Amino acid sequence: MPSGDDSHAPVPLRRYPSAFHDSAEHEAALAAFPAEFYPAWVKACRRLAGAGYGGTVADDYQRLSPQVAQVAGPQQALELASAASGLAIRAGRGPAALLIRASSSAAKRLRDNFSEWLALVDRTAIHAPESMSAILERTDLLLSHLDLNGLESWLRIGIRAANGDPQRRRRFFTLEDPEAQHWLQRESGVVGFLDFETRLKPYLTALWGLSVPLREVPPDAPEQVKRRPGFDGAVMRLPASFPGFSASDSESLYRAAVAHIGAHCTFTRAKFPVGGLKPAQIALVSLIEDARVEHLAMRALPGLRNLFVPFHVAQPSGPSTAPNLFARLSRALLDRAHDDPDGWVRKGRDAFFAAEAEWQDQRLSRRIGDLLGNDLGQMRIQFDQRSYIVQPAYRDDNLGLWDFGEDEQQTLNAEQVFESARLRQEEDDSRPPDREETEQRPDETAGRLTAVESAAGGVPVARYPEFDYVTGRDRPEWTTVKEYPVAIGRVQDIAHLREERSDIVNRLTTLIRAARVSRAERLRRQPEGEFLDMDACIDATIARRVGEVPRDRVYGRYERRSRDLSTLLLLDTSKSTAEFVRGSARTVLDIERQAAALLAYAMSELGDPFAVAAFASDQREDVRYLRIKDFGEEYDRTADARLAGLGSGLSTRLGAAIRHAGTDLSRQRSYRRLLLVVTDGEPSDVDVDDDRYLVEDARKAVFHLRRLGIDVYCVGLDTEARPPLDRIFGSRNAITISRLESLPELLPTLYLSLRK
Amino acid sequence: MQATTSAAQRLAAQDHALDDFRILDEPYYRPVANEVALFEAVYASRMPVMLKGPTGCGKTRFVEHMAWKLGRPLITVSCHEDMTASDLVGRYLLDADGTVWHDGPLTLAVRSGAICYLDEIVEARQDTTVVIHSLTDDRRILPLEKKNEVLKAHPDFQLVISYNPGYQSVLKDLKESTKQRFAAIGFSYPESAVEAEIVAAEAGVDQKTADTLVRIAQRSRNLKGHGLEEGASTRMLINAGLLVDKGIPIAEACAVALVLPITDDPDMRDAMQAAIAASI
Repeated sequence: MPSGDDSHAPVPLRRYPSAFHDSAEHEAALAAFPAEFYPAWVKACRRLAGAGYGGTVADDYQRLSPQVAQVAGPQQALELASAASGLAIRAGRGPAALLIRASSSAAKRLRDNFSEWLALVDRTAIHAPESMSAILERTDLLLSHLDLNGLESWLRIGIRAANGDPQRRRRFFTLEDPEAQHWLQRESGVVGFLDFETRLKPYLTALWGLSVPLREVPPDAPEQVKRRPGFDGAVMRLPASFPGFSASDSESLYRAAVAHIGAHCTFTRAKFPVGGLKPAQIALVSLIEDARVEHLAMRALPGLRNLFVPFHVAQPSGPSTAPNLFARLSRALLDRAHDDPDGWVRKGRDAFFAAEAEWQDQRLSRRIGDLLGNDLGQMRIQFDQRSYIVQPAYRDDNLGLWDFGEDEQQTLNAEQVFESARLRQEEDDSRPPDREETEQRPDETAGRLTAVESAAGGVPVARYPEFDYVTGRDRPEWTTVKEYPVAIGRVQDIAHLREERSDIVNRLTTLIRAARVSRAERLRRQPEGEFLDMDACIDATIARRVGEVPRDRVYGRYERRSRDLSTLLLLDTSKSTAEFVRGSARTVLDIERQAAALLAYAMSELGDPFAVAAFASDQREDVRYLRIKDFGEEYDRTADARLAGLGSGLSTRLGAAIRHAGTDLSRQRSYRRLLLVVTDGEPSDVDVDDDRYLVEDARKAVFHLRRLGIDVYCVGLDTEARPPLDRIFGSRNAITISRLESLPELLPTLYLSLRK
Repeated sequence: MQATTSAAQRLAAQDHALDDFRILDEPYYRPVANEVALFEAVYASRMPVMLKGPTGCGKTRFVEHMAWKLGRPLITVSCHEDMTASDLVGRYLLDADGTVWHDGPLTLAVRSGAICYLDEIVEARQDTTVVIHSLTDDRRILPLEKKNEVLKAHPDFQLVISYNPGYQSVLKDLKESTKQRFAAIGFSYPESAVEAEIVAAEAGVDQKTADTLVRIAQRSRNLKGHGLEEGASTRMLINAGLLVDKGIPIAEACAVALVLPITDDPDMRDAMQAAIAASI
């Protein structure tokens, strides 16, 4: 821009109320606004000053708009003034002032698109006036991550996710809501964990035979934790992204991280006790241990060298600070060819490679680490634990290596990890967040409603006879079945249970694939078909030769016969299911729940019609029947939530429950119908003294169902009492399992074999 | 049904027919454990035997080797789900003069004292496999119902089946009554050093390449049940080795021979490629 034209310089000074603070500012204004824009600019300044926004709005505009004009042109700088006025009307003075303050850096980033940003701010102010300050305060941060399109969609996501609630909007836009950070990440287009996750899992398994769940570090974790991978034995945490690395480097970093942590899991046999070690020693021992496991890993898998080494970029120069020396030591320990002149680094390297024969022994790391730590102390090099970040980026924070004893300073507790799992799951549904919200809501309200209803008691739906073996007669209308709505539990729990046994899910998927494609059967001796049935032809020819009338059914054809089976899974939730399974922290009901979740998965994958129900009883007038999933319903989150909401209690009046389930099943029009009962004890109820009575009744109920053409199969869970299941169901139709943990695996496979 | 040929002629014809089934050159087999001694012992008492193990671990090669070693012809039947009992036992076929009985492979083996090897027997339907029942207990007979003949097994006859207890075992399984007639020899992928030796011998690659291939195979076997139904077999390693021997770079050879055949999932493929890169 040409330097200022002095002819119009004095005009603003005289007419404009606020004087320039110094001549340099004035120079800048003159330089930024050429003659044709200058009057308009003066007018804008005056308007802002006269509008009474107070504070420094007018001053700021006067000071910053020339900067905007410098990079984005005078026209856009003038638009800023009207945008600020508009914003003041929509959202108040504060945001207007912030807009102007944010303008110069925004203009630097956006340049020609500056006015689009202004328009976007204006549009957003309509929907979220209260959040404008929050948004504008973060202009720099947002624009450093997002381009305008990204920003727009992030803002929209925030507005929609809050669903009209200003409080939630505020939380989102102040980035307090972890979701906000999460979406910021996604919109910013940085290649991150989510892009690689599906590939990293099999990579880890392939390299080390481990199947540890991989999780993204939750967005609300402390900064240090967020930047580096970590592990705690149960899960592996990986950063959401590695800022500053290109996409292909990021992929290698994630691979290297997974390979590195896998090496720890394989070669670090025990945690190091922290004892009285100083932070510097801990960091050094960790560093040596990192190098040790990497060398062992490279012995097994030489190609890992190409993965690890390129990330070690520390130069053998620079100041003798702890982080610098540590990074150099890391490189020297990994890369034999690398030469570092520093005495301390050399000492570490020599000690490490001299002990090559002892690499198998992790005490080596401790020994060398201690040695170097002492030297470091003598060299009076300060180590600042708070600012120290492990280098290079793929290495984990090493918290998993140490046993901190009583005052375990786990930076991430289980809840946080779980939280990240939750976020992931919701996102896996790959629906836009607003759908998510509206979908979840009915569940929540339903949950509240049912709580009220079940307090009021169930709805009586049917009365059934009960068989009295003493008299040999039915007692008519003896029991009342009441249907209770099921409490809603946490959907995630079920997903979690399923994920826990991902081995079974995997295997089931294979089985299902095999079972779903019903095999073609060769039908022989058909009147027509696609090939000749050799045996029939020969018979026919023989018949003709001996003078008989040959049969003309000499063809064969292939036909797919579909299997047609409806299944009702009936779960016993009586009081005894609240007992803990021997040697496990799970109750019997937990195991039932997991088994039901897996079976339901299998059945819904197969597309077979099925229902899931649970029962318990409180005397003959109150046999409780809880519908978890009906035949007509989709198997979805609601069903999962109900399954999660099951609780244990009351008794087992098996006969009535079987009859009621049978009524349901008999309405199914499929060729085969199967009632699958899972129970853990013998039938009993508080109003019955005779042990045999309910057994005989249940037996009678099973007979009744058989007559209706319904198959009944029972899985007995072995507990102290040996239930007389053979008597009730017949020995071919009942199995008792003694290892309860095997139920989740057994139930779906049993189903698949019954289904044949 | 005419018996136009004399018994002696028929026998001679059969012996001739068996020539194709004789194994003249020693098939390469590297014993992994004591399976050779076990098989000899089993054969000595003509006990039916089941070879169990994953695909491509050398079951078929082992049978060939043993047939060669014992000097018996080997008749192999690959079972499939459309196979009927007649396909095993035999049937009447037509010629110009009328019907002629043709022995099926099993009958041929029973008559002439060959080793009959039913490969992947679970693939056959269960009602088909029951025809072997009378052969596998102390009767050692094969009733040819249509021919109205009860065939006594030749003293040298032995039945061998292979059985791959894979994931399909719930849907496809042998009947309990069938299983219980067999002795079983278990096979699995040999340990690394032995497997490398096998790969080196079969593919003609050097020891180092063979070691690398075996290392790669272990990576893919780690994925069994985690996205792959089966890891890379010894047979696949040999294939990869053969490609390397033809001058294909090892990473590419592995992609062609070990990765692409067993998975269609791009993520899985990617993970395996990366694991291969880590192993080289």
